[in-house]
Amino acid sequence: MSIPVTILGGFLGAGKTTALNALLRQAETRIAVLVNDFGAVNIDAALIAARQSGMVSLSNGCVCCALGPDLGEGIARLVALDPPPQQILVEASGVGDPWRIAQLARLEVGVHLDAVLTLADAQRFPALLADRWLSDTLERQVARADLVLLSHADLATEAEIRATRAALAGLRPGLPVALLPPEGLPPLLGAARVQPGRERAGRFHADAPTAHGFRHLLWTAPGPLDHDRLMRALEALPESVLRLKGFCRLGPKATPHLVQRAGRRVELRPWPEPLPAGADALVLIGTPEMPDAVLGTLRAALHAHPESHPRGGPT
Amino acid sequence: MPAPVTIFTARRILTMDPARPEATHVAVRESRILAVGGEAEMADLGPATLDRRFADKVILPGFVEGHSHLHEGAAWRDPYLGFFERRDPEGKVWPGLKDIAAVVARLREVAAEKPEGSITAWGFDPIYFGGRRMKRADLDEVSQTRPVVVTHASGHIMNLNSVAMALAGFDRANDLDGLVRDEAGAPTGEILGPELMGRVRRVVVPDMFSRTLDAGALDRFAKLARQAGVTTATDLVSDMSEATVASYRAATEGADFPLRLVPALAARMFGQDEGIARLEELRPTSTEKLHFKLVKLVVDGSIQGFTARLRWPGYHNGAPNGLWYVAPSELGAIVGAWHRAGALLHIHTNGDEASEVAVEMLERALTAHPRPDHRHTLQHCQMPDPALFRRIKALGLCVNLFANHIFYWGEEHVAQTMGLARAQRMDACGTALRLGIPFGIHSDAPVTPLAPLFTAWCAVMRLTAKGRVLGEGERIEVAEALRAITLGAAYTLKLDHLVGSIEAGKLADFAVLDEDPLAIEPMRLKDVTISATVLGGRVFPVPPTA
Repeated sequence: MSIPVTILGGFLGAGKTTALNALLRQAETRIAVLVNDFGAVNIDAALIAARQSGMVSLSNGCVCCALGPDLGEGIARLVALDPPPQQILVEASGVGDPWRIAQLARLEVGVHLDAVLTLADAQRFPALLADRWLSDTLERQVARADLVLLSHADLATEAEIRATRAALAGLRPGLPVALLPPEGLPPLLGAARVQPGRERAGRFHADAPTAHGFRHLLWTAPGPLDHDRLMRALEALPESVLRLKGFCRLGPKATPHLVQRAGRRVELRPWPEPLPAGADALVLIGTPEMPDAVLGTLRAALHAHPESHPRGGPT
Repeated sequence: MPAPVTIFTARRILTMDPARPEATHVAVRESRILAVGGEAEMADLGPATLDRRFADKVILPGFVEGHSHLHEGAAWRDPYLGFFERRDPEGKVWPGLKDIAAVVARLREVAAEKPEGSITAWGFDPIYFGGRRMKRADLDEVSQTRPVVVTHASGHIMNLNSVAMALAGFDRANDLDGLVRDEAGAPTGEILGPELMGRVRRVVVPDMFSRTLDAGALDRFAKLARQAGVTTATDLVSDMSEATVASYRAATEGADFPLRLVPALAARMFGQDEGIARLEELRPTSTEKLHFKLVKLVVDGSIQGFTARLRWPGYHNGAPNGLWYVAPSELGAIVGAWHRAGALLHIHTNGDEASEVAVEMLERALTAHPRPDHRHTLQHCQMPDPALFRRIKALGLCVNLFANHIFYWGEEHVAQTMGLARAQRMDACGTALRLGIPFGIHSDAPVTPLAPLFTAWCAVMRLTAKGRVLGEGERIEVAEALRAITLGAAYTLKLDHLVGSIEAGKLADFAVLDEDPLAIEPMRLKDVTISATVLGGRVFPVPPTA
């Protein structure tokens, strides 16, 4: 089973360590985190189950590990854990381009790239972007990110948030941007949180009210999907869809597949095990503006069902 | 009864002491210089042994290499593939390889000598191959079954054969930054940058850098140093692990080891507090041959690798600006902490923007916590303009300039990185001298060969490999260049009270030359051979060249 690797980028002070701390504290899956500065991660002593060289194991099954000079070595060490983590999160250097880390992570065995998330300080981003020593460093951090999350938004004024959004749009029109919600990163992480059949229980019901600044929608496919139509549908989803994740059956043989979309990047991979009945479910996580019509867009992906055209939604 | 006195006579002794620039006799007692001068100064020393073996030689202070890496000693375990000839630790001169065919032929010899396992080599330098780059097909001629990995002279680029590309997983990575591609978009086997190179070392040739600083590596480095007249050398990026420190100690405790070592703790390999604590712990264990006092910080990458941070107008060929290895604000905190801890900071800055940021952060640290005679040094410091050099002067900083770059990469800087006008002011020894900034010049061995007389020649002549004079106005005189490779470098290490000049009371470290560098044509400075070194009064003859 391949482990999803999420890369967390962002300049110094953007809140990466805070987000990682929160993630480790509240994790519902076994998450392994590779961090730049081991000393900065302030893990509650009560949570710590064991310490070994450069690695802290938590009582909730998570581990936190120092990212050495060689990313691959760090990932290999995590993959070899027993049991292996369900999710790996890598903190990119505050001056690095997180996409470069993502490229290297993709070379490693036993893992696949989930998404590149870049944090941007909702208050300070425009000023940092104007700094003569830093502007290109910040540009590179968002140039190839899948999603940009605005941190410290609770401290920022509406005007500051608008200015940061405008600065980001100026760098990359169409870049998906959302506020980092109080519950932090978990809703934005990939497949480890989508076990086949798990979402069926209505954890995120399509009619659930908007929660925590994100909107969740669930779509259960009534039958197999067509590969090309699904790709078209995924590409047609609006910017307000930040993430999509789940499972479907594809083609005339109804082959199980994992489906993920982070920002504009789509991943469709065969799933090695049969899906339980009713597990063909896709979860969409979006900004509060995400329209119900996105469900119609997905319906258009159904395999050879002329009657399955969406009702009233965009195609 | 006082210890015995030995008096060395020489054709000429160049002391680097302006009060007595020349002498003919130097007396040594208990590893120190008892007196220097002529017969008159020797007359009141009591009984002494006259040692005339250097009577027709020229004695200089032992050379001080202010920026080298002991890894040079490990590199020679692998074959050398450079464009320029290079002397190995045993004194054998390996000819320069002048085209790809010669490189492939040499590698095929290596492959035949070593029938299994990976084939690794270093020092490859295709700059003067008329634009022809190495392709994976070239290296596939060496082996189609074993990985072949060739590291370039700069240390920032590698060439791989197809087996190595496949093992590294680069064949299935279709959009990886740092893979050089041909017109059709296929990877050529050339890879750039520390991340990809690190992966190759781990995945493809794990034996390549399981090569820690063992006794053999230090011994090879010491042999190179002796050939080059070097008696004090830095190891400018040290992990200061127990094993590394044990290697330093074991080597320097041996009376046969002809070298004083000055390792610099690599700050980025430690947390801030741990690094300071480690240096504090090591500092009192320093000896006359092993000095723990330096910390090394790295601000940017390399100019020829396009990873240095440049100010306007950036790279001549339009390449995007390089990378901060630490953010400027972070550098401020790091510089401040090490400065307050009393360390001697040696800061790698290649590009002028990196130098400017380092100067800014040092200014803040020195303003908040003034410290007389700190000797903080910018290493490489290849690009500052005169205004930035004036700030360097005003803050009392030292610089160690990479004079060898003019010869090895000067043409590359003209064509690719700087353009002619800016390339002419690189490694500005003339400006440093005019402003009175204390400066050394260096090799960064193994990036370029450990050979201070060659480095001095570069600073004097400023000739590129194609014979162009690059920056007439930054040339310095031979005497000034000799000072830079002795007392100048010693000053940046705050060891000028012990080494770097021939004065009574200092350690008896000499470089013994077969010719007088002040009497020959400056063009021949690099060809002057070393007869012996003397460390603490003990003579280490250079063995005849193989």
